[in-house]
Amino acid sequence: MAPRIFPLVKVLTKVGVAGGAVYVAYDQGLLGSGEKGSEVLSKAKAAIPPAVDEWMKYFGWELPTPPKIEFSPCQAWNSGVQTTMSALSVAPSRAQEYTHRGWQYVKDLSK
Amino acid sequence: MSEGELGRKWDRCLADCAVKLGTGLGLGIVFSVVFFKRRTWPIVLGSGMGLGMAYSNCQQDFQVPYLLHGKCVKEQ
Repeated sequence: MAPRIFPLVKVLTKVGVAGGAVYVAYDQGLLGSGEKGSEVLSKAKAAIPPAVDEWMKYFGWELPTPPKIEFSPCQAWNSGVQTTMSALSVAPSRAQEYTHRGWQYVKDLSK
Repeated sequence: MSEGELGRKWDRCLADCAVKLGTGLGLGIVFSVVFFKRRTWPIVLGSGMGLGMAYSNCQQDFQVPYLLHGKCVKEQ
């Protein structure tokens, strides 16, 4: 009796664990639309630091404070693109101006 | 579509991509451990499915203002 039931219980347990994982993912909105996904990410970001602090207090450890990084990749990328585009837009007029100045200099030297 | 709205859509898209990739990876690990004797392919399949779902959501989000919906009217 027991040797027959044990494989069945094992399979049912596995199906239960896997099905439960899929159900939890669906219930939390992880498999839904893009808006739900970004909401879940912002909730997780807000929930992680207090949870980490609680667990550290429970275990009696102290984590070193993470360094604050002032650098923002978005701002750096945008300012890089803007600088490049503005340099390209003034390049013809600047080239003309420098050519004119160079020509004047050569003319003055030849006088 | 204004630039601010486009930026928000991209932010939503990247956040959704991260969530779906993590979910696919997690479910792939669960299935790999429970059913497939810790093989790698369920993890890769789960991650790929998560990325594909995120791509589909992003595509829908960017195309929504420009999608035209029509109805087929049968001749009577």
